[in-house]
Amino acid sequence: MSRNEAEARVLNIVHAIEGLSQWVGKAFGWCILILTFAVSYEVFVRYVLNNPTVWAFDVMVQMYGALFLMSGAYALAQDGHVRGDVLYRLFPVRAQATIDFILYLLFFFPGMMALFWYGWEIAADSWRYKEVSWNSPARIQIYFFKTLIPVAGLLLMIQGVAELMRCWMAMRSGQWPERIDDVRETEDMLIDMDTSAVPRPAPPGH
Amino acid sequence: QEGTTLKMQAAWGGGIFLENAQSYVKRVNEMSGGKLKIDLLPVDSVVKTSQMQDAVHRGVLDAAHYVPAYWYSKSKTASLFGTGPCFGWSSQEVLGWVYYGGGQELFDELMASLGLNVVSFFNSPMPAQPFGWFKKQVTSTEDIKGMKYRTVGLAADVLLEMGMSVVQLPGGEIQPAMKSGLIDAAEFNNPTSDRDFGMQDVSKIYMLASYHQSQEFFEVTFNKKKYESLAPELQAILKYASEAENSNFYWHNTLRYANDLRTLQDEQGVAVYRTPDDVMAAQLDAWDIVVNRISGEDPFFAKVIESQKAYAKNVMGYLNLNQPDYKQAYKHYYG
Amino acid sequence: MTDPQVAILMLCMFIVLVLLGFPIAFTLLAMGVGFGYYAYYTDVPHTFADLFSNNIFYLLNQNTYSVMENDTLVAIPLFLFMGYVVERANIVDRLFFSLYMAARNLPGALAVAALLTCAVFSTASGIVGAVVTLMGLLAYPAMANAGYQRSFAAGVICAGGTLGILIPPSIMLIVYAAIGNLSPLRLYAAAVFPGLLLAGLYIVYVIVRVLINPSLAPKPRDEDVPPKRQIYLDLLISFVPLTVLIALVLGSILGGLATPAEAAAMGALGGLVLAAFYRSLTWDKVKQSVFLTAKATAMVCWLFVGSWTFASVFSFLGGHDIIKDWVEHMQLEPWQFLVLAQLIIFLLGWPLEWSEILIIFVPIFLPMLDHFGVNPYFFAMLVALNLQTSFLTPPMAMSAYYLKGVLKKQIELIEIFRGLMPYLAIVIFCMVLMYQFPGIALWLPDFLFGVYVP
Ligand code: NA
Ligand code: NA
Repeated sequence: MSRNEAEARVLNIVHAIEGLSQWVGKAFGWCILILTFAVSYEVFVRYVLNNPTVWAFDVMVQMYGALFLMSGAYALAQDGHVRGDVLYRLFPVRAQATIDFILYLLFFFPGMMALFWYGWEIAADSWRYKEVSWNSPARIQIYFFKTLIPVAGLLLMIQGVAELMRCWMAMRSGQWPERIDDVRETEDMLIDMDTSAVPRPAPPGH
Repeated sequence: QEGTTLKMQAAWGGGIFLENAQSYVKRVNEMSGGKLKIDLLPVDSVVKTSQMQDAVHRGVLDAAHYVPAYWYSKSKTASLFGTGPCFGWSSQEVLGWVYYGGGQELFDELMASLGLNVVSFFNSPMPAQPFGWFKKQVTSTEDIKGMKYRTVGLAADVLLEMGMSVVQLPGGEIQPAMKSGLIDAAEFNNPTSDRDFGMQDVSKIYMLASYHQSQEFFEVTFNKKKYESLAPELQAILKYASEAENSNFYWHNTLRYANDLRTLQDEQGVAVYRTPDDVMAAQLDAWDIVVNRISGEDPFFAKVIESQKAYAKNVMGYLNLNQPDYKQAYKHYYG
Repeated sequence: MTDPQVAILMLCMFIVLVLLGFPIAFTLLAMGVGFGYYAYYTDVPHTFADLFSNNIFYLLNQNTYSVMENDTLVAIPLFLFMGYVVERANIVDRLFFSLYMAARNLPGALAVAALLTCAVFSTASGIVGAVVTLMGLLAYPAMANAGYQRSFAAGVICAGGTLGILIPPSIMLIVYAAIGNLSPLRLYAAAVFPGLLLAGLYIVYVIVRVLINPSLAPKPRDEDVPPKRQIYLDLLISFVPLTVLIALVLGSILGGLATPAEAAAMGALGGLVLAAFYRSLTWDKVKQSVFLTAKATAMVCWLFVGSWTFASVFSFLGGHDIIKDWVEHMQLEPWQFLVLAQLIIFLLGWPLEWSEILIIFVPIFLPMLDHFGVNPYFFAMLVALNLQTSFLTPPMAMSAYYLKGVLKKQIELIEIFRGLMPYLAIVIFCMVLMYQFPGIALWLPDFLFGVYVP
């Protein structure tokens, strides 16, 4: 197997993992729509029908919590977690990759392992007493919600392995492998676009 | 010899309840002569309030100063330790039930069934919590139907049963929500804490007397392993300081509450009323519905209720027969 | 080394290590877990399993859960979603040109229109980068073609695009509320006048500059001006709906109809309706907005997971107490404390962005407010104004980089920086004004919600 083939295989694995993180993050992303409609419904029934629900508050909290927690790996797969990159961005790629590689091992994995392992213990506690929310008489279950912590920890660890492989490739080749495609922020899209190709805007009506 | 330091987090960030926690800590620290020191941390410093019991159970905190209602998410029975139905007793007698009426044993049984590694002492008999702050005086049960009310715990179930709409709100939102009309009424705890919260700036009607939370008290809880690792005399100090603080709380807080109620009335233009008897009677009926429902779902809850009822019937039977009508004497002197 | 000294070491190490460029959320989390391991270390481990029996691991999980159940932070994904939907609703070009035509008799009409568009659009969308780049493509060429001086035109866009993090409804204020355990309602009410004041001062500055030096901003040619009816129609269909949406969201919060999270949900729904109204509500755009919301929410909230764990350990070791002791021993007057705190935040704004400053550094100052008798809402507004500068101070003025990124060779970075400087001065002037007249911030919340009691 040539070196190129080997690298292509590694990149395939990296992209497969990124695909998983992205898929899970996007799936949980839809919580925002449920959140939007559920909360708007609550405001409606409270003011128009003067009859607030007992569940809206807990649904709101759980949709938000699940959304951000389970999108953590997705954001990591898209390099979406904010970096203090004043100096970092000036480093050559090999140096960036080496620093990242070491720090993933040193900073990232211990915490994620703790989220996975101990989060599991805490979730198990919660299942034992069939824990419910204290927010309302509806007593919405929260043990499923707490179980998301170890699941997120596991997902982040898997994505972390992909990041390690990515760093390894960059340390060898001197350039960062491409990430898989995804929807992008307006500013990133516009900055990367060839703006000279954009037709100059004219006042409407001309 | 170097002493042991226990990290205790309070559920309070300030106000009179933090003073109460400090007062317990002061008793322990002074009695132990340096062999044991409690380091008191304010609310949220290590974990948020909802996580306090877990934190003590796991040893992340050595101890916590809070109320049992804060772990009611694990078992509805938690609310029977302080915010349960009123069987004609006050918080003093509920504490009597804990110490001499089988309450402690039931509590231990509950902790064992939940698998929690904690040791708790109960103290500080709170006077009944006011019905709260309203937009206009409550004169009948009809007045409160459909009202958006902020409360917590089993009290929420009770008032929901009475036709109120119970709204969940974060603590800091209560005052602005009341002023802006998001809620029609709210309750916290007592004249001092309510005044500290600035409720008098957003409402001028204060309804005293209610059965929704008529007999609450504090729980001082320790990590069991940590507690058992202490020398017997230090364990005794933690326990007896709790008993001492029980009396201190009552003397200290009732005076402060009375003074602050007068400030609210005399200087801050708050009209204070007593909740009408028929509204209170309706609260008792609502409590019956809630208690019966939960007893049907949870045999342990039912067992605790039975124990409480038997104790209250006995002890309050004696007290009621024996106690003179203190109100009569009060009226005799002050009209 | 005493525990509080270890806490200070922890903070210093963080400041150095963050420069290595590793994602900040995980750096914070690692420092929290590492130093927490020390803080909760009890006994020499005897077995391999003992190595892992340390309470910090439970603390990390409990803090993660606390972020998950925080009812203030719920508003963040909702406001982000509203922003992404509005941003993709093809609204900004209509908005800008109709404002331009409506303001055409004012000196520097294009610049005033650009400022207003930035203010309205960034308030609705809340995402500085998107506003600056969109306006960079739209308003900058228009100003350049009209013969505006380049750095003057660039400054307008960068400063205007940053206003959205201050003018409520703003995500930054929600984050602040979660950090300081303050009421988002009161914070929103407090920010209304400072936000309007700053925007107003920007506009006054533009007009005065152009009056003094008309060559900065030539008047539009007559043949470029469409008929009056056209202008009013454009204004009606672009400016009005967006402003109404903002006013409804803010009004329902301040008017007591809804909590900020609830208002944000209705705002998101309103954004969808608005997009439908502009015929730009496609399934694809909804999907894009959903996914972008997921990523951005994860970014902000994982930062909270890291920082709450960091802060728990810092506090457990006694870090907050020692800093508080130091400051109290310095025998500062309240005004000296305020100036010192704001100076530090200003300096942190050079290398860092608002979210990092708020989540990591502002909590260190908060416990001291009580000692100096400073109203936390007043302090919050000083910080909020100050954080405007974090986008505008070279060398790391993010607004300038966004603009440069999209304009590429059309302008030099140094020209943008030059254009920014006057706005920096205006922000500082605004802070001084607010210090002199705290009522600018405090009158409205007190009026609406009753006098604040500490
Ligand atoms: Na209460
Ligand atoms: Na900056």
